[in-house]
Parts: sequence; C-alpha cells; structure tokens
Amino acid sequence: MGALSEFRFFRPASAADAVRLRGEFPASRFIAGGTDLLPNMRRGLGGAEALIDLGAVAEMKELRRDGERLHIGAGVTLATLAADPIVVSRLPALAQAALAVAGPTHRSAATLGGNLCLETRCQYFNQSEHWRAANQFCMKLDGDTCRVAPKSSRCYAAFSGDVAPALLALGAEVELLGPQGARRLPLAELYVDDGMRWLALGADELLVAVTVPLVAGRASAYAKLRVRGAIDFPLAGVAVVLRRDGDTLAELRIACTGVSSRPELIAGLDELVGQTLDDAALATMERQVKRGIQPMETTLMSVPWRRRATPVLAKRLVRRLWDEAKGG
Amino acid sequence: MNAPDRILPRVGRAGGEAHGVGARLPLVDGVEKVTGAARYTADLPAVGALVGKILRSAWAHAELLEVDVSAAQKLPGVRAVITGDACDMPYGVIPIAQNEFPLARGRVRYHGDPIAAVAAVDEATADAALALIRVKVREQPACFSAADARKPDAVLLHDNKPGNIEREVHNEFGDVAAGFAAADLVREETYQCAEVHHAMMEPNAALAAWDVERGHLTLWSVTQVPYYVHLTLARCLKMEAAHIRVIKPFVGGGFGHRVEALNFEVICALLARAARGTVRLLQTREEAFLTHRGRPETHIRMKLGLTRDGRVTACEAEMVQRGGAYGGYGLVTILYAGALLNGLYDIPAVKYDGYRVYSNTPACGAMRGHGTVNARFAFESLLDTMAGELGLDPIDVRRRNLLKAPTDTINGLKVMSYGLPECIDWVEQASGWRERRGKLVGDGPIKRGLGMACSHFVSGSAKPVHWSGEPHAVIVLKVDFDASVTILTGASDIGQGSSTIITQVVAEVLGIDYSRIRLIATDSAITPKDNGSYSSRVTFMVGNAALDAAENLKRILVTAAAKRLGVSEAEVDWLGEAAAVVGDPSRQIPFADVVEEALVATGTITAKGTFTCPPEFQGGKQRGGAVGSTMGFSYAAQAVEVSVDTELGTVTIDKVWTAIDCGFALNPMSVEGQVQGAVWMGMGQALCEETVYENGRHKAANMLDYRVPTMAESPEIDVHIVESIDPNGPFGAKEASEGPLSGFLSALAAAVEDATGARIRQTPFTPDRVFDALNRNPRPAAAAAANPTATAKGEA
Repeated sequence: MGALSEFRFFRPASAADAVRLRGEFPASRFIAGGTDLLPNMRRGLGGAEALIDLGAVAEMKELRRDGERLHIGAGVTLATLAADPIVVSRLPALAQAALAVAGPTHRSAATLGGNLCLETRCQYFNQSEHWRAANQFCMKLDGDTCRVAPKSSRCYAAFSGDVAPALLALGAEVELLGPQGARRLPLAELYVDDGMRWLALGADELLVAVTVPLVAGRASAYAKLRVRGAIDFPLAGVAVVLRRDGDTLAELRIACTGVSSRPELIAGLDELVGQTLDDAALATMERQVKRGIQPMETTLMSVPWRRRATPVLAKRLVRRLWDEAKGG
Repeated sequence: MNAPDRILPRVGRAGGEAHGVGARLPLVDGVEKVTGAARYTADLPAVGALVGKILRSAWAHAELLEVDVSAAQKLPGVRAVITGDACDMPYGVIPIAQNEFPLARGRVRYHGDPIAAVAAVDEATADAALALIRVKVREQPACFSAADARKPDAVLLHDNKPGNIEREVHNEFGDVAAGFAAADLVREETYQCAEVHHAMMEPNAALAAWDVERGHLTLWSVTQVPYYVHLTLARCLKMEAAHIRVIKPFVGGGFGHRVEALNFEVICALLARAARGTVRLLQTREEAFLTHRGRPETHIRMKLGLTRDGRVTACEAEMVQRGGAYGGYGLVTILYAGALLNGLYDIPAVKYDGYRVYSNTPACGAMRGHGTVNARFAFESLLDTMAGELGLDPIDVRRRNLLKAPTDTINGLKVMSYGLPECIDWVEQASGWRERRGKLVGDGPIKRGLGMACSHFVSGSAKPVHWSGEPHAVIVLKVDFDASVTILTGASDIGQGSSTIITQVVAEVLGIDYSRIRLIATDSAITPKDNGSYSSRVTFMVGNAALDAAENLKRILVTAAAKRLGVSEAEVDWLGEAAAVVGDPSRQIPFADVVEEALVATGTITAKGTFTCPPEFQGGKQRGGAVGSTMGFSYAAQAVEVSVDTELGTVTIDKVWTAIDCGFALNPMSVEGQVQGAVWMGMGQALCEETVYENGRHKAANMLDYRVPTMAESPEIDVHIVESIDPNGPFGAKEASEGPLSGFLSALAAAVEDATGARIRQTPFTPDRVFDALNRNPRPAAAAAANPTATAKGEA
C-alpha cells in the first residue's frame, strides 16, 4: 500500500454541517472509522480532495430505545453494537453480525454506517494500482470491462458487509440527511444490485441513523462462510429472523450478503408462514435461498461451493432458532 | 534413546534450578520487543534520507526494448534514477547458479521483476518519478505451471537451460527393483502442494548510506544472512568487501524469505551510490509476495513397497517443483527433497527423480523445512494409506521402520542420535491414540478424527555454500576492565532466539550472572562473520563455537584466579561470580578481581571459539551423498485431532500433540515456542495458505487474501521434549524449529480421513476443496479392501 495522498480535513460537530461541507466539496468523502476507506485510498481505489470526519458528530453516536424501536446512530462502533445489552438480548442477529466483522481492533474503530456503506469488493478491484494497471483495470474503476463477467454491461463487485443482512432481515429503516432535509426509507431501498453504484444515496446525502423494530417473540441469528475465524470478509453471510407460534412458523425472514452487489432479502418465504418446519419446509427454504443468491467470482473461493454452502448455513440457523423458540 | 552413553555436563540442573543451559530463560531481547524499544530497519533514524522506490514489471515475460528515464531524471526532487545498466553482475546465493540481476537487463521474467528504481526527496516525488519512466517491451509467451514450462515448444526463460529445467536430479540408493519385488504391497499415488509464502511479520526494508568522500557503503537490512548480502553487494557494486559494512538490526521473522541477498537490498545500495547520499527503501507487503522465495508448488508421484507386516522395502519418488523465474536456492530445494526422504526411517532402497522447473512467477527459495515438507506429506500420506490396506496401525508401521543410532543411511547421512521412538511413544499416550483413533464421536454433520505423522530436519548443513576453508562458526568474547563479558556474534537473531541460546551457553560455562553478559550481533565492522540463520544451523554450530569460546575464556580466567589466590589452577574452585580455593571457601575472590588479575600486562581480553563440521559428516563419497548431510537430525512426531463439518467442508483443528527430539533443550521455553511455531506454520500450509496467480499476476499478495491462520484457528499445541543428547551438539542439543513442521500436513490428512473416510492429497484443505473431496471421492476403504495386493494408480 502506498501513502495517503494529500487531502483537506474537516471535523464538523453536527450532521447538518457535515452535509453542508459535502456540498461545498464535491470531491469529498465522509470518514468515520476509516477501516474501509483508508486502505482503499492507500491502494489508489478512489481518492478524495477532502475528508469529512464524522467522529465529532455526537448525534450520530446515539444508541437509544424509542418505544418499540431501537435507534442506532450510524457512528456507533461495531464493538459497541456487539456488546449492547438490548442488541444482544432483542436483536441477536445484529450483535452476531457486528461481532463477525474483521477483528477486535477493527471493530473498535469501524462504525455501523461504514459497514452499511461498505465499498463493494472484488478480486479484480481490491488490488494495488500496479496490479490493476497490469490487468488493464476494470469497469469499477479506470477500466471498461467487468473482469468477473467480461461480456456484462454492469459491474459484479460483491457487497460484503456483515451487518446489512441482519438489519435487512430485522426490517430496519435508515435515516438520511441531505441538503433538502431528512428522509427515511426501508434499508432494502438503500441498496442497488450494481457493483459500481450499490447505494441509493442522493448526492450529498449522509446516513445518519438506523432504526430497528423490537418485535416480541422474534428470534434471530447471523452466520457467515469464511475460511478463517477472524479478519475474513463473508464469502457468504446469512441472517435469519424467525417467529414461532406453537408448531407453526409465524414469521421467517432471511437475508444474505456476499452473494451479489447488494444484501439480498430472500423472496418466496411467505408460503412457509403458517406451516410447521418439517423437512419439506426446510427444503423449500433452501431452494429459495439458492434462488435468491448469485455469487460470482469476486473472491478466490469457488463459486459452486459458496452457492451450495450458503443454504446449508441458512438451514442450520433456521432449525436452531426453531428449536430454541420452542422452549421460549 | 539410541544415543551413545555420554556424561552430560549439566551444571545447572545438578544443583537444582537450571541457570545456564536448560533454563527457561525469557529471550534476552524480549524486553525491547514487547516495550516497543526495539528498532527495526524501517525505524532507524536517518535524517534527510532519500526515499527509494522500485518500478516493477507489469508483464510476466517480456523483452525490454527501452527504459526511458529522461523525464523522471528531470523531475525536481529526484536524486537518482537507475536501470539494469547500473549493475551487470548477476547474483544468486548458489555460486554456480547466479542468474538474477538486481534490475532486469534485457528481459523481465515475472510480473513484479524490478526494472528501474528512483531515489527522491519524498514519497510523492518518487511515485511521480516512477510514473514518468517509459518502458517499451515486446511481450513473450509465458509459462505459469511446471507442466507448461516443460512442454517441448515452451519458450525458454534462460537460454542456457533447455526445457526450462533448472536442475534435474536422478539418484538411486540401494536396489529399488529388488525392494519392490520383495514387497507384499506396492502402491503409487500422486500428491500436490500449492505454493506457500513465508508471510513474516516485518515487511522488507533497507537503508543504505553512501560515504561520498571515501566511497564506502553501509547497509542496514532485514536479512537473515548479512554475510551473503555483504558478498553480493561487493559483487554487484564491484566494490572491495572492506569498503562495505552490513548491519542487521532487529528483524521481525524470516522463515527463509531472507536467506539470500534480495534485489531490494542491492537496489537500495545502488541508489545510495547513484544519489551520493542515504536512501531508505521500504517495501510493501505486495512487494514481499513478489520477492517471494517461498515453498514451490510441487507435484509428487510417490511409490512405496511394504511387506505384510509393514516393513518398507523400497521408495520411489518423482518430484516436480515450479521454481519461479530465477535460480535462488532452487537446486538445493530439489536436492533436499530427495535426499531427506532418508534419515527418518530405515529404508533399504530409494530412487529419486527431481525436476526444478523455471516459470514466469516469482522465484521460490528456502522456506522453513526447506525441501522436506511436501515430500514428507506425500511419503507419510502413502504410508498411512498402505497401512490401512494392510490392516496395520499407522503408529505400528512407523515403529517397524525405525533407525538405530549411530548409523549411516543408504545415502551416507549420519544419524548420531535418534529420539523418534520416544517421540512416538509420547504422542501415542498423550493423544489417547489407542482408545480414540477411529472412535471419536461426532455431532451430526460434524465428524471427528485423529491422525499422526513423523518428521525430521537437519541441524545445519554440514557442507557450507561457500567452501573457503573457514570454520563453520566463530564466536568472540571480550572481557575488559569493567568485568563485563561481551559476546560478539555474527549469528542473525530473527526472532528464533539465537542470541538467547548463545548467551545461555556462555553463562553456563562461565557460571556468571546474565547481568554481566551483553551480546552484540550482526555488524560486519564489529562481529565475526557468520554464514547466517538458515538450515537450522545456529544452535548447533554457533552454540558449539560459543561453548568453545567460553571454555577458552574460562581457562584464561582460571589461570588468573590461581595466580591471585596463590594456588595452582587445579586448586581453583570456579564459582562463576567468584573463585575460591578448593576445600577452603573462605579464600575467595570476586569475579571482578579475577578479571583485574587477568588484564595485568595484557589489557582487554578477547577469547575466540570456533566450530567446524568434521569432513566425515560432510556427506558420503557416493553421488548425491553430500546433500542433506548434517551432524544431527531433529526428530518429531505429532498427532492432530480435527472436526470436519461435512456439509460445509470446513476443517477445525481441535488439538495437536507434538514431541520433539531436539537432543537437549538449551532453553525449554524457547524450544516449546519454536515447536508451536513450526506446527502452526505447517497448519497454515495444510489448511488455508496458497499463492494464486492469474496470468502471472499474484491475486493474493496481501494478508487478507493470503490466509495465514489467525488466533481463532490456533489450537492448543502440547509440546513434549525428548532429549536424546546428541554426541556432537552443544550440551547434546540439536535443532528444534523446522523438524516439527512437515509432519503436520499428513497428520491432518490422516485425521480428516479418520473423521470422514476421505483421503485428501492436495494442500491446502480449504473448505471448497474439502467439500469437493467429500462429495466426489468414493470411500477408499471400501475400494481398497477388494484387492489388497494390486498396484493402484493415483486417482486424486
């Protein structure tokens, strides 16, 4: 990695000031923990004339309960999130996902907002400038061909954040602040299946907070495919939210990461609601997961394995939550 | 233990807690490291040092038509721009295989081959200068695998190497045909090991200061071999060696990456001379992966003959190594791989065919366990498979083939001490082998298993790389008015603890406090020459030189003590921190008085000690006999317990038991650390590490994609020390740091087979590979039972 290029540095005290600065400096970037942005900048994967540090924006670090919703500022660190008592007890998938990111030192700096906005990743993109130049670059930056799918007109870089699928399955909403003011939208609408433009953030918009419903009776969990027990990005990640009513499923939501350019909420699970979780139901669920994911050769690990192992991960989580919910 | 009877001078242990050798002494340089006070090459203060940077090839194979540096030279702030014209002397660690230039001349042979370098006032200017260099090339066809490089129409990387064969080895010791004829079961199988990299913690760095007035050079570098770097600088810069000073500061690991002079070291020196100043050259992690020198991708065809009761009758092995673009240590690697099939077990006949092949990838070299690891994986794996067919226990088969020391192997290697039987005994007991193997209960898709293997390694190559007639090791001790003892050594401590071992040996012999001893290492202006830290030579050879030096010094001091006490030398009771008259403890003088007396009329005392491997240890007279020759082999056995998730293909190492015969543990704590490190490194290769090239471009040249295990994967590793007391090692010691590595791979393969029934013959055991193996291979036990005497061909 090379040295950082020169940039101006701002440290606004409010989200509104941060948004205003973003408007003043078109070639600026927001920075929070910097665990994604700085290595990318040092590799020449996008520069910035100005960095707007969100570390002094107190309102973005709030973690509080608003009635039946949990409000989590985008500046809350993943370490805080993973250890928060309400998150651990009511939203275990979120705690587990936060804990699954990188290693302890990263999590103490990395933030919720940063993980949700994580740059998409690809074996042809996350390389040094020298490497990328020798490979005639790629569509995502400086080139015009997607090296994963050379005939494609789009970029297939994979969204690889761990936290997004948990929040997606939990039905979270995001709060955005832009020059025109604040707006809210379901987390799912923040994402686009495009490796180059995977966030539906408007120009100058800032992700300020996330709110998550605290639904009684919900069990949830997150697990990821990885080679190593720490550091690794998900080769695929699965979040499951499940509610059990006696012998029937009252709710089943599954979301995956690392399997396309956005976190994917798995469709087609509604037909299982009201049924019991027998082998046939599990088979249906696995089929829908397989249908809902399109891992590409964005990592060094084989695509067929990722495609086959992801539903296994989902099956295990669903079965475990189902069994645990029986006692609860 | 098969060691000749010998009285061991265990001074420390006889009197209770060990003080010198045998003590669990924390590493003498540990304080600096854990407090952050230790200065590594990149930390060295050098006010005003220029920033050096290297322009590397973006082509795997190309003819260099033009390297135009004119624009870069004109950039303000640029002090030097150099190309292949700066050095026309090829270099390489093996004198007969020097085919690398610090900066490419005429041709680039791998993606990353250095083409030009700049020295500038700051990093941004250096980067800008690199961008201004115009390189015109004519691309050449490239070979990325050994198989492609060996094709008849393959383009040659080096014109004098037909078929891209760097070195071909064909040896036969004993009568292999007769051995197979005598066997009840003959099997042949193929194995494949991915290329792995050292991934040492400290990235590469060098600092070079050019003395303009004198035309002298000082170089600080991260090397394991300052002496070889010194020779290479003299050669490549065409300088008198006397005008060069090489210093090795603290080094954060090497594992073989740094056992030969590397291009960035020579480039840094060339830049300093060209810029007439001081240049600091820091390398990225990616550049370390491109400089490489790791363990080559290896294809192995292994054939063994066994009698019904498990006696090995013959071994035939063919090994093909993809060596990368330049020679490096390559020919030693391919020779070692064959020679060290011997020395672990008693094998009456071995035939070996080895091929070291050039390819358009970064050069491979010596990596921990040099040459032996992949060969051992294949041998032990096949031994297990055949034991299974014969219905024999893997441990019983190994016991049936033990050596008895002292002995010479069929290729003339001397085995002087042999603690393998005790290693096996302990592993069998500790792992609960008899009760647990084949009987571990899993949990649904999680299957559990136990496997074991043995391994060995040399304690220093008895045959030096440069035959100069010098001793193999030299130590100098200096004693002065302050009654301190300064050890001067050229031995490179790279984290393995050589400085500590040398200090302990001196403390043991002299019996003095550690606080009185200081060690100065690896500065060519001050310390005696040492060949370097490789082939696990330092403890054995430098340890013996330290023992010799300390004894020489002690003689001087005892003479002085006798004089001061007014008695004969025989009447001196040497107490270390004091000297007394035998039988009269009241007549006693402190160490400082002894030194004072010793300095009379002579002043500062220097005592030298040396060690030389006697010629009879430097290999038999037969062809190929010198390869792998050493004065002592370490031996290791290990058992590995795993859980395999058969639905996901993930392998978890639950526990490892390793026994090491290191002759004598000069520092048991250090031995345990080295053994755990070796096991762990073997685990990395077995489980998840591999380099990946696409059209010659390294896709995993970073610590995220090149997956070195983390704390999360690190199992408990129980270490048991077996002391066979080698007759020639210092206090009986042998090496402890490389031998235990190579057994891990096949022990893991055996454990996975015990758990799942599938035998995997390709490393690393990544989840996708394991998943494929579990979902494709038929259970080998069923197929094998059908026809136990037929010769099987590989199916992996």
